[in-house]
Amino acid sequence: MPNVFGTPLKRREDPRLITGKGNFTDDIQLPGMLYMAVLRSPHAHARIKRIDVSAARQVPGVVAVYTGKDLEGKMGTIPTAWLVPDSDIKTPPHHALAVDQVRYVGDGIALVVAEDRYTVRDALELIDVEYEELPPVVNQEEAMKDGAPQLHEGVPNNIAFHWKAGEVPDEVFDRAEVVIRRRFYQQRLIPNPMETRAAVAQYNPSSGEMTIWCTSQNPHIHRFILSGVLGIPETKLQVVAPDVGGGFGCKIAVYPDEALVGYVARDLRRPVKWTEDRREHFTTTTHGRDMILDVELAGKRDGTLTALRIKNTANLGAYLSTAAPGVPTILFGLIAPGPYKIPKAAVEVIGVLTNTTPTDAYRGAGRPEATYQIERMIDLFADEIGMDPLEIRRKNLIREDEFPFDNALGLQYDSGNYHRALNKALEMINYDQFRKEQEEARKKGRYLGIGFSTYVEICGLGPSKVAGAVGFQGGLWESATVRVHPSGKISVFTGASPHGQGEETTFAQIVSQKLGVPVEDIEIVHGDTNRISMGWGTYGSRTTPVGGSAIAIACDRVLEKAKKIAAHALEVSESDLDFEDGAFQVQGVPGKKITFQEVTLQAYLAWNLPEGVEPSLEAQSFYDPANFVYPFGTHICILEVDGETGEVKLKKYVAVDDPGPVINPMVAEGQVHGGIVQGIGQALWEGAVYDENGQLISGTFMDYAMPKARFFPAFETAFTETPSPVNPLGVKGIGETGTIASTPAVVNAVVDALKPFGVKDLDMPLTPEKVWKAMQKGRREA
Amino acid sequence: MRIEVRHPFSTSRKVVWKFLQDEEVLRRSLPGCRKLEEVSEGVYSAELGLNVGPVKGMFTGEVKLSELREPESYRLTMSGKGKPGEIRGDARIRLEEAEEGTVLICNAEAHVTGVLASVGQRVMGSVAKLILSQFFKAVEKEIRHSTPK
Amino acid sequence: METGKVNVTVTVNGVRRSAMVEPRMLLVHFLRDGLGLVGTHIGCDTSQCGACTVLLDGEAVKSCTVLAVQADGSDVTTVEGLGDMENLHPVQEGFWEKHGLQCGFCTPGVMMTAVGLLKQNLNPTEEEIREGLEGVLCRCTGYQNIVRAVQYAAARMSESEGHREVAAAGDDSGEGGR
Repeated sequence: MPNVFGTPLKRREDPRLITGKGNFTDDIQLPGMLYMAVLRSPHAHARIKRIDVSAARQVPGVVAVYTGKDLEGKMGTIPTAWLVPDSDIKTPPHHALAVDQVRYVGDGIALVVAEDRYTVRDALELIDVEYEELPPVVNQEEAMKDGAPQLHEGVPNNIAFHWKAGEVPDEVFDRAEVVIRRRFYQQRLIPNPMETRAAVAQYNPSSGEMTIWCTSQNPHIHRFILSGVLGIPETKLQVVAPDVGGGFGCKIAVYPDEALVGYVARDLRRPVKWTEDRREHFTTTTHGRDMILDVELAGKRDGTLTALRIKNTANLGAYLSTAAPGVPTILFGLIAPGPYKIPKAAVEVIGVLTNTTPTDAYRGAGRPEATYQIERMIDLFADEIGMDPLEIRRKNLIREDEFPFDNALGLQYDSGNYHRALNKALEMINYDQFRKEQEEARKKGRYLGIGFSTYVEICGLGPSKVAGAVGFQGGLWESATVRVHPSGKISVFTGASPHGQGEETTFAQIVSQKLGVPVEDIEIVHGDTNRISMGWGTYGSRTTPVGGSAIAIACDRVLEKAKKIAAHALEVSESDLDFEDGAFQVQGVPGKKITFQEVTLQAYLAWNLPEGVEPSLEAQSFYDPANFVYPFGTHICILEVDGETGEVKLKKYVAVDDPGPVINPMVAEGQVHGGIVQGIGQALWEGAVYDENGQLISGTFMDYAMPKARFFPAFETAFTETPSPVNPLGVKGIGETGTIASTPAVVNAVVDALKPFGVKDLDMPLTPEKVWKAMQKGRREA
Repeated sequence: MRIEVRHPFSTSRKVVWKFLQDEEVLRRSLPGCRKLEEVSEGVYSAELGLNVGPVKGMFTGEVKLSELREPESYRLTMSGKGKPGEIRGDARIRLEEAEEGTVLICNAEAHVTGVLASVGQRVMGSVAKLILSQFFKAVEKEIRHSTPK
Repeated sequence: METGKVNVTVTVNGVRRSAMVEPRMLLVHFLRDGLGLVGTHIGCDTSQCGACTVLLDGEAVKSCTVLAVQADGSDVTTVEGLGDMENLHPVQEGFWEKHGLQCGFCTPGVMMTAVGLLKQNLNPTEEEIREGLEGVLCRCTGYQNIVRAVQYAAARMSESEGHREVAAAGDDSGEGGR
């Protein structure tokens, strides 16, 4: 059996996807299926005075129209699932359809159900709503001020929570040799997976069973929450995530829409489909980021960093989405010191409600923001003391022999060799040579820049005990069932819910490696609550470290039992057996062996099993990791800023990531590529913009600049592999590293390029206009 | 969104004023006007057909003329509602004497919602200018036709 | 809103299909809802993303910008007609070999765009490929492996083109052409 761990196997999910035979939610057609569409508020803040649905009801083909009032009391409100502790958190009710008041452009008001998707849109336009407009508030700092419009009762000054971790007294900063203070705005981003959200529900009135297919990253969480919202026991509610066209965090949340589809399907006793259009996605699917970070970094003239203090004012939008409170707090705050030895740190987070689309996890969720500020701050610090940005990193990075490392906010970094990743990345460029070229180019009026990002992030969410301690209303273990069929073929049922990350392949590689069974004989089953034991889904780069580890442990259990049967069959003791090349081999007796396949058949026939061993060959694991895992690496960006236009041209991009042992380098590299592009998207182009009335004015692909192929050079990627001691595979996670690392690498490079203009910092996205203005300002002042 | 439009008229302020306040003239001159009825002093209910790039639709709403200071200035507020969203506008219109007659200066603030905001907003400014210019040109034509030189 | 339906006949993946449709029906909805060819996806409503790209009379078009009635009498190729597992099109092969897809949602449209691109230029440079992908959005791959996939397909296709030319040249010299 060749070693399949570490092999770039072609993906097993691809055949259906490249031949048009995937099964995405909107592809599902059921007999008698109706279409649902939701009327959404055009106002950011208004009272609903009157809704007239009579004209919509008259449209031939319309089956039903519901308003918020029609549903009031008949279904639950949409809950938040992350109640950050000791933060005085307020959870104002979020009705599936607004009852009296709308709080953001996109808030659902009424819904229409009709025989086809054209009719449903026609009817939607005939609903007449009279609003009494209320003053809206869009910006989180404005929203906190006295006298600002109030969104919800019982949430004074719109402050949903106030959370703190760590403490650094003022005198530490007062006495410090160097203090850098800087405000960063993490702009609002729109996740925009290419598949928008969708849901289909089917109800069987005789059995009371309901199936909901939806675009979910975590169908069991959807079942958990929807069961409560709809009042359907979990025994009768099946949630299926079929092929899901990307998520990036925005398909974690449970939204009103999935609940509404379920409600309507049960009420009308016909299958119902709802598919979000792209414009709807822009205003109703959760956004990411939107945090104002006020950062203070103290240190010595020799480059030693001593203390970090941050205030994060986070815009949560109009309601608290499923995981929203955890993003700016736990996922941002605790990792804020990054990979550097900073002995003291404190983070304060104020979560604020505004008349905007709710925010929640977006690829990286908290960690890109944390990495951005520390990577920018360390460059600013280096600049202040006249040190090379590379030197200050070398000086402060945690050394290999210092792991496990307890950071100032209580996290224990599992393992790492940060300098090795940095050195490997440096081998891929020529730093000294670059600085010379940069110098020469500047003389000719060309502006080259280099930016570093030596990041660490938290992955593999996470120990359930910790989840409880930080207020997540769920566990964060993962389930795996490894079922060896009598023929020796294997079905693996995982509670993780991959949607593009390739685990149908990489998980099969884990099983193949463990059990010596060819990958072709292994099927990975995911995304169906009726087939799979409780699990928690795919987000936070947890799928491989937690879900994969659960599979590895279940495989070990299968093997343990198989060994007993093999020993019995070969009439030797278990300790005499080695498992190699898919067979149990008696040590020292070549040829005396029994294959895994033969053992499997014996397990099922059960004619002659050892005493106390039950028939069949199947094992389960509910793996709860002992700690998070901490991938790290170094990204380096080299770019040129056009002195005339301010346009940023990427010239070279090097990424060295350490996700622990790499199971499938091709798939891992793909994750890095995609992540880098998403992170650079934030650095250079993307940004959701509201006008002062709460209208989203970057609400289409015409206005919201999505990264395109021609914007990029080919990236050069490599891995170092430092195993984690936390889990049996030693793996860490690779789904978010690119996004986390690339944003500050690019911004650092742009700022480096603009050094001749006296530019210290620029707010993202670094559009040509913004860069050009900064250069003009520099030229004027020079 | 703020819009400023200037339009020269080759006649006196008094004449321009008269035409701008004339319901019949307004009905004929407002681009896409399907209906204009005075419901009370200075308040009109109106129906306008709008065509903003990808967004087309009928808007129904109210137009109000107030703060009339003949022949210098007045205020025009409007609110309209249509399938693509809602529009609210507040315009100060000033008539200034000029060499060739009169210059009209319109300073307007407009707010839009719905598709108009998310799709149309980028082009709304220039489209609003275009619509206003069309309107003033049409008024100018009315003046020319009714005042033989 | 109540509109008279009209007959549309389109040859889709080599099969003649007729249906009565509303004049306003988009080709992409006709393919998906009318013919059940759900391999063609819808990713936006402003014709920016290219997920719905199909070949219309051999040319890559975004099927959300075409009305079904406009396709009347035309040939349409969707991803379902590009190739199956027994007989993959080189572009499909390239996407599989080079990991040109992750979630797979944009993939049918991107592949059809690539087919259109290679029809015009069988030997594109990396830059030309990136330019040629201007009309499509992919949120997963970062495009690099899509570029590699198209390069792979280009190599495979020009290889077999080369073989055909060699074969044709052989025919010419040997038998004086047929």
